[in-house]
Amino acid sequence: MTAQPDVSSPAPDRYSLGIGKLVVPSLIGGLVALTLGVYGRLHHPTGVVVNIAGFTSAGYVKSWLATIATFFAIVQVTSALVMYGKIPRVTAPSWIGRLHQWSGRIAFLAAVPVAIDCLYGLGFQTYSTRVLIHSILGCAFFGFFTIKMLILPKRGLPNWTLPLAGAVVFTVLVGIWFTSAFWFFSTFGLHR
Amino acid sequence: MKVNMPLVTLLSGAALGVGVLVASMLSPSSTASASSTGATSPPSPAFTVTAPPPASTASGTAPATTPTTASATAPTSAPATAPVVTPTSASAAAPATTPAATGSSSTSYVPPQADYVAQVNGGGAAVAISVHKGKAVAYVCNGHAVAAWYRGSAANGKLNLTGKNGARLSVDYRSGKAKGSLTADGVQYSFSAPMVHGVVPTGQRPPGLYEATATVDGVSIKAGWIVLPDGSQVGSVEYDPGSAIPPTAQAPLLNLATGTAQYDGVTLVASLISGLTGSGF
Repeated sequence: MTAQPDVSSPAPDRYSLGIGKLVVPSLIGGLVALTLGVYGRLHHPTGVVVNIAGFTSAGYVKSWLATIATFFAIVQVTSALVMYGKIPRVTAPSWIGRLHQWSGRIAFLAAVPVAIDCLYGLGFQTYSTRVLIHSILGCAFFGFFTIKMLILPKRGLPNWTLPLAGAVVFTVLVGIWFTSAFWFFSTFGLHR
Repeated sequence: MKVNMPLVTLLSGAALGVGVLVASMLSPSSTASASSTGATSPPSPAFTVTAPPPASTASGTAPATTPTTASATAPTSAPATAPVVTPTSASAAAPATTPAATGSSSTSYVPPQADYVAQVNGGGAAVAISVHKGKAVAYVCNGHAVAAWYRGSAANGKLNLTGKNGARLSVDYRSGKAKGSLTADGVQYSFSAPMVHGVVPTGQRPPGLYEATATVDGVSIKAGWIVLPDGSQVGSVEYDPGSAIPPTAQAPLLNLATGTAQYDGVTLVASLISGLTGSGF
């Protein structure tokens, strides 16, 4: 065996700022968003949807799932603000971390079937401003979410990275909701 | 070793996504597209079946459904619960003005002018076919991304119509019903549609095929609705209908009292395509 530099030892100087740790997650997140967009653009939309009994149409299933995701995203931001001590006179209860984790998981898992139906059944479309914005944000959301999940366990990142990533994910999701479920409910009526 | 929970979350989501995607690909109306012509589509998950009333009932007893119940609560024809069909005393007294012997006779009578609407077998979409003096117009949509218009000519009680992107519709309407199969957006359906008769509550638009075109936000759109005999409806909107593969979405609710629909602030005025009168041909 030939002599090799000791690759297992970290090089703390190089990552002293911690920003270097963002490179790989960002690349993966970008790849996720790009993959979804390219698939949505190239795949011929089938219109095939998985509906749930009790709902008028697939549009309503998706709109309510998106609304659930957005609701838990609001829980996300609120619990994060409590954890960071940004809400005056509120001390973080012991369960706040668990609330944050599970609200995020529920929001994400509620959003996934919606996204799959959009990509498989409808595709990446550009025929109106609303639809274009929605298509772009929809793909970007999963990219940003991937980045946030990948940097979450990393230590030594600048303090602003997680709040920024969380804020971006939340903002994009709210944008998605306004360009889809909000539009859908206001066009077709608010019911199941 | 400490478990990387965020990564577990990500992978769980990815697994769920793959699961939903595979379920979509394997869903009946998707696989039906690969089967041979004439195959019966299994129930589609797109929406719950609302079986159309049999033709004999429709023509014999003039059932006079009240569509308001169904349409007021549901924008598409596919409420999960079956639409309430309530015979009204007013129309029960009305004479059955429907043409005799067209209901369920098995003779080879070919009506020169006729309209047919029904849910496709399995209930995954609705289809409308109108024939007027040798010409035919047909439409299928599922209130979501599947919609196709067909035009062509009629000969000897049979239609072989074509639409965009390989859309085909073949039907035999010699037995009082329009029976056949169609392909739209790669999805195949079979159907057996009863003839539409003119008995409707006063002030309501009759069952049949409706279309409307408009320009919304600078984009031309073409909406199509199929209003079923029970007053329920299925509608889809095509954006930039002149393009090769127009994007398609759910149409807004067609108000059967006014014949209009509201879409992004624009009033769509629907016109009936009728083989009986020839309007829209």
